[in-house]
Amino acid sequence: MRASPSAVDVLLTPVHRWVWSDLDRRARKLLTFGQTEEDGARDISRAAERTADPALRILYLRHAADEQRHAVLFRKRGREILDSSRPPVFEANWLAPGERGLDGLDVGSESDQDLLAFLHLSEKAAAGRFVLYEEVLAVDPQTRAVFARILKDEENHMTYTRRELARLAQRREGWRLWRARAGRLWNAYLRVASAIASVFGTAMLALQYFLILPAFAALAKRSARREREGFAASRAETAFGGQY
Amino acid sequence: MRILGISAHYHDSAAALVVDGVPVCAVQEERLSRSKNDASFPLAAIGWCLEHGGLEPGDLDAVVFYEKPMLKFDRILTMALREFPASWASFPRAMKNSLGGKLWVKGLITSQLGVPGKRVLFSEHHQSHAAAAFLTAPTRRAAILTADGVGEWATLSLGRGSISESGDAKIELFRELRFPHSLGMLYSTFTAYLGFKVNEGEYKVMGLASYGSPAFEPLMRKIVRRAADGAPVLDLSYFEYHRGARRSFSDRLAAELGPPRDPDAAIDLATPEGKRYADIAASVQRVLEDILVDLARSLREETGLDDLCLGGGVALNGCANARILRESGFRNVYVPSAPGDAGCAMGAALAADRLHFKRPHVEAPDHPYWGPPIDGAQLTRIAREDGLELAETAGEAELLDRVSLELARGRIVGWMQGRTEFGPRALGNRSILAAPHSAAMRDRLNRGIKYREQFRPFAPAVPLSKADRFFELPPGGARLGRFMSGVFPVRPEWRDRLAAVTHVDGTARVQTVDPEAAPRFHALLEAYGARTGIPVLLNTSFNLAGEPIVNRAVEGYTTFRRSGIDVLVAGETVVEKPRTRELAPEAVA
Repeated sequence: MRASPSAVDVLLTPVHRWVWSDLDRRARKLLTFGQTEEDGARDISRAAERTADPALRILYLRHAADEQRHAVLFRKRGREILDSSRPPVFEANWLAPGERGLDGLDVGSESDQDLLAFLHLSEKAAAGRFVLYEEVLAVDPQTRAVFARILKDEENHMTYTRRELARLAQRREGWRLWRARAGRLWNAYLRVASAIASVFGTAMLALQYFLILPAFAALAKRSARREREGFAASRAETAFGGQY
Repeated sequence: MRILGISAHYHDSAAALVVDGVPVCAVQEERLSRSKNDASFPLAAIGWCLEHGGLEPGDLDAVVFYEKPMLKFDRILTMALREFPASWASFPRAMKNSLGGKLWVKGLITSQLGVPGKRVLFSEHHQSHAAAAFLTAPTRRAAILTADGVGEWATLSLGRGSISESGDAKIELFRELRFPHSLGMLYSTFTAYLGFKVNEGEYKVMGLASYGSPAFEPLMRKIVRRAADGAPVLDLSYFEYHRGARRSFSDRLAAELGPPRDPDAAIDLATPEGKRYADIAASVQRVLEDILVDLARSLREETGLDDLCLGGGVALNGCANARILRESGFRNVYVPSAPGDAGCAMGAALAADRLHFKRPHVEAPDHPYWGPPIDGAQLTRIAREDGLELAETAGEAELLDRVSLELARGRIVGWMQGRTEFGPRALGNRSILAAPHSAAMRDRLNRGIKYREQFRPFAPAVPLSKADRFFELPPGGARLGRFMSGVFPVRPEWRDRLAAVTHVDGTARVQTVDPEAAPRFHALLEAYGARTGIPVLLNTSFNLAGEPIVNRAVEGYTTFRRSGIDVLVAGETVVEKPRTRELAPEAVA
């Protein structure tokens, strides 16, 4: 199974090229990828612990070992670049997010079929991006070689997850894949929605902070100035029933 | 009387069950959820504790939370007000955190467990630490010192505990240091400055300190001075954590010490920059130790007692603990296996039993093995399915003979026995074991299994009765080594033959193994000693970097398959990795 970048990523090629052009940014992104791969290794290892299917357990373990090796490769290259780069610049991670690992999937509560579908899509998305990154990194053959090496593994992962999904789900393979796609979309929506809610909540609380708190702040500061330096007497024995 | 203790929401959540005054079980949530330092409400840990105790939530007489949420909120809000307007950026986050969940613990417990609100109790954070340290220690009268980052307001408490002839327990905390002045936060701030993860990288600072000299001590003494009553007082202009900013240290600290370490950059101790980091670590370690020794010495004079119980996350600092034992005048220093927040689950339950319900004291079993047991049959089944070479040994003697031989051959063994440890350290029930003799073994473990920095040392385990032959233990040192809580010098004549566990400064964080607490692990050490002449093994936690210590046999198995561990043992089942190359027994004599 061969990977190819999504249409959106192809359209965004100039943005990806810009993001990867800076050495420091490149190093940080590789280190972040290293962390994602390591997290992925842990999650897939967890999947190996949960499955009752011995064949799948071996495949998951190989997959986890690959992810661990990728983490080492990304980190090694990231550190090499970091040692030779200039001071940090704007990282722009949100412009070229790379991969999302298992996208916050709760491995512990998913069936093998759902997990395989999810893994397949995640690997496919990551592999597609890595194809693009290989292309935009023409100026850095060493980093390009790292992506090329990892891409081969990612394509193998795409293949085995699809094959095993077909084995386990049989006729319902397509349904599982669509469900996983919907799950990824739902997660994306939740990320955006919670980010918006968080911004709104932060703005409201910040407004209250400046409108309501100043008078109380003056009192609190005055009381702090009166506090004696050093030890304070411990509170007298308090009742276990109270929260204060 | 059945009491469930819970700690949660900040780091390292846990649950513990006390029945009729005796701890029955305790486990950290991370061991079950497999998410390191899991701080979420410990539903899995609670579920396991109840199952282990054969109880339903309705059978519980009390559920005790380890701190007082409203008092903690009082501190968060007060600090936001005191630091106005500099706290503007952190205020929304802090309020969302508290009002969004952490404040409503009583509701959470009643809704999740279905117990009536009147059965939900709250202990104070440092009272929980003090109870975890004192009520599990084999002493009836002791001074108590607890120190951590912060609980509600207190960051350090001094006091005393006593148990009368009739069994009435009393914990009396005399005085406390309050936030923002905090030894735990001081150490954590330097952990962050040195590029390590807070609440996780403090061990690294301690390990790094041995490579440096306290060249920055004068500056550290300026940063932490002593008040007239001896309390450590921080110069807050060097810190930002009390404003809740994303960074815990201020620009002033970076200006006076130089740029902080980039967490992504490797530490090269051969470079001036690497040496500077080591010197900073050594300086903060020195100042922390001096202050703790001084506080302990005053406490000894004030109480006139021989025993000291240490609690709180700062009690994980083995170098400081050893200095307290040597220099403060106390004959015994007791540190529980889980002195940090996880241990507060047990502390809170015991505190409620003795102090709230006024039940007579019952001595707690003196071991750290409170978690789920291992199931060797699970490993047998999986290894068979995967076609691995498998041996089910016929009894303990054959098991010990086989494993000690593998260890003497230089193989690395994943060792799972009995119930999992409560606390951050593997103490012989979920351990990776190896021959301790060569530095090459240390490097092999660091590179091939633990994937961690080369400067971090490994710990030795030794039978209690033989510890003194290999390590310079002061009086009381063997006790401090019971849960690996002290760092002591390796005897100079053994350092070359214990190179894998001897740190650069000639010390080791030794575990003294008591045959009554860990009979099989003790027997393995003796078997290894009979074979090699040295009954010492390298003992490191059974996990890979970034993962919690394994709990079940299947977790040990996946860790074994993903790492350079050669042999896996669960109960009496032994599994070898395919195509492990044969190694000659190490020359150890």
